[in-house]
Amino acid sequence: MVINVQNLVKRYGNLLALDHFSLQIEEGEVFGLLGPNGSGKTTAINCILSLLKYDKGTIEIFGKPMRPDAYSIKQDIGIVMQNVAVFQELSVQENIDYFCGLYVKDRQKRRELVEEAIEFVGLQDFRKFHPKKLSGGLLRRLNIACGIAHKPRLIILDEPTVAVDPQSRNSILEGILKLNQQGATIVYTSHYMEEVEQICSRIVIMDKGKTLATGTKEQLKGMIKGGETLTVELFGLKEEQLEAIRRLPHVTGAEYDGTRLTVHCSGGAHNLIRLLDYLRGQELSFGRVYAEPPTLNDVFLEITGKHLRD
Amino acid sequence: MFLHVFTGRLKCLTRDKLMLFWTLLFPVVLGTFFNIAFGNIMNITEEFSPVKVAVVESAGYQQNEAFRQTLDAVSQPGDGQLLIVSVVGGEEADRLLKSGEVDGILEVDGEVRLTVKESGMNQSILKAFLDEYAQKSAAIGKLLRENPQADLSGLLDDMGKESFVNEATLSGAKPDTMLNYFFSLLAMTALYGSFWGLRNSTDIQPNVSALGSRRSVAPTHKMTAVLGDAAASLVLHVAEMLLVLAYLIFVLGISFGNQVGYVLLTCLVGSVTGISFGTFMGCLFQKRDGLKTALLIAVTLFLCFLSGLMMVDIRTYINLYAPVLSYINPAALITDAFYCLYVFESHTRYFLNIGILCGISALFCLGSYLLIRRQKYASI
Repeated sequence: MVINVQNLVKRYGNLLALDHFSLQIEEGEVFGLLGPNGSGKTTAINCILSLLKYDKGTIEIFGKPMRPDAYSIKQDIGIVMQNVAVFQELSVQENIDYFCGLYVKDRQKRRELVEEAIEFVGLQDFRKFHPKKLSGGLLRRLNIACGIAHKPRLIILDEPTVAVDPQSRNSILEGILKLNQQGATIVYTSHYMEEVEQICSRIVIMDKGKTLATGTKEQLKGMIKGGETLTVELFGLKEEQLEAIRRLPHVTGAEYDGTRLTVHCSGGAHNLIRLLDYLRGQELSFGRVYAEPPTLNDVFLEITGKHLRD
Repeated sequence: MFLHVFTGRLKCLTRDKLMLFWTLLFPVVLGTFFNIAFGNIMNITEEFSPVKVAVVESAGYQQNEAFRQTLDAVSQPGDGQLLIVSVVGGEEADRLLKSGEVDGILEVDGEVRLTVKESGMNQSILKAFLDEYAQKSAAIGKLLRENPQADLSGLLDDMGKESFVNEATLSGAKPDTMLNYFFSLLAMTALYGSFWGLRNSTDIQPNVSALGSRRSVAPTHKMTAVLGDAAASLVLHVAEMLLVLAYLIFVLGISFGNQVGYVLLTCLVGSVTGISFGTFMGCLFQKRDGLKTALLIAVTLFLCFLSGLMMVDIRTYINLYAPVLSYINPAALITDAFYCLYVFESHTRYFLNIGILCGISALFCLGSYLLIRRQKYASI
């Protein structure tokens, strides 16, 4: 096991930031820590990294207790902070070299690692640039390069895509998957459910310092009653037909606004085929049809009664 | 690892233009302004002006021929003129004294009496002149009583020809009170090393900056990082102080005496004090960086004000009314160290200043260590 956190409790005065938070992460996973802002994700990461004191609980990394002076453990950890943490006066190359040098003493080896990191994040054309000359996306990439240049076994990324344009975000996410393919275990915190769904093999959903649910995205979606949502564009649907649709198997609700029919289903298979068969049987012609599977937001909504970004 | 941290830090600091402005360019600019402002004052060769004195016309004055001849001798126009004598009536003499047209009134009534309305340089000269006259006339009287045939001509000839004012330094350097501004300026430069110390402490504490977090999770011992940063800032700041010193000496022509080794030692110790002061402030206050910088500027300037940077007389007042302040104010200690090297040959007072500065630096370092040594934080 790469990370084993048991019953972590952390208080800021009267505020309970982590409430018996537990976490187990296996080698080779891309593990997502998903929760709204203020849910305790960064606090959990800072406790795991031994930056923050905590009131109760145990933390082990690579099977050893994590302490501030556990340098052999720290040697194998890479951290990408939520806030960009680079020196403004150093160039891209110098920044990566500086942080890599805190882990790797051998200069020749370090030079190779720095080059690899620059290529990995695609900053070859910007190696002599200083951070203030870089765009937000490029700056985030530099931030990542500084955290991963020494090829750590465990990489912790704390909301690395905040305030990043979609193109750079995709590039960052692809890079994270590449790091995982190269053998690194990834811990990824975010409040963007799409990102977590896209790259994480296992996810913990947390709120108010508590673990709400843990599992693969399929397992998490399977935990909720709400299933897929079907949308059909059509005209002339009568009230008795709408009632009939509401009585179809697995349908939990249906609305019609004169042009669009929206049907909510709870699990079950072939819901869309069943609905379209009914509409054809009623000789109703329809336009575009959408079927949306449940999202992690639906999971969060059902568990907490609020949206992830509330 | 120390070397890696040191070189990385040195690169960062040498490229920090804003800090370089405050720690190097600002003292140079201020020194230039000082030189322009005080240049004329420093270059003026002070010419001695004869002291104006009123002598009350009286029978005693007319009968005392020796005194009249002496006054004639010292009031002869020329380089050696000591007095400008006006022989007037008693009321006129009082009026002249009250209106400030003369510095004193001499009355001869058996003995010579001096009346002044205030104390000052000219009044002191008159007093010294009369003392000398009284001493020599008494000696002449005694000699004539013992040997009426003695030739005493010329005994009173030298009266007033010796210098009554002589400013000197024990080290032999040319005295100049305006130099204190430049000593204070160098003390300010030394204390501006606190900006480097502040930046060091900001970049190492995870509860203050993201850089601090990143560096704290690296497998580098915290003290290695702290010492590497401190060494880099010390090297840079000592170099800055030497540049400012060289500018003052070689470009502006300011003299710091001839004890070069001790002047350099003062720069080094002043730098250590400045950097340790900034580090301590950075560890003590967990406020925003801008606020801490503003606080540091305010404290540093206040300490420099007390050392005489803006008004040289403030040092005199502090020494008179609150001397303890001079022993706990690093700016005053650095200023006084330069002053001692310039004025005194003995190093007792100099080493007392340096010793106290070392003690203050040690306290700042100890305080910083106690605040920074914690490895986990309650909040970030």
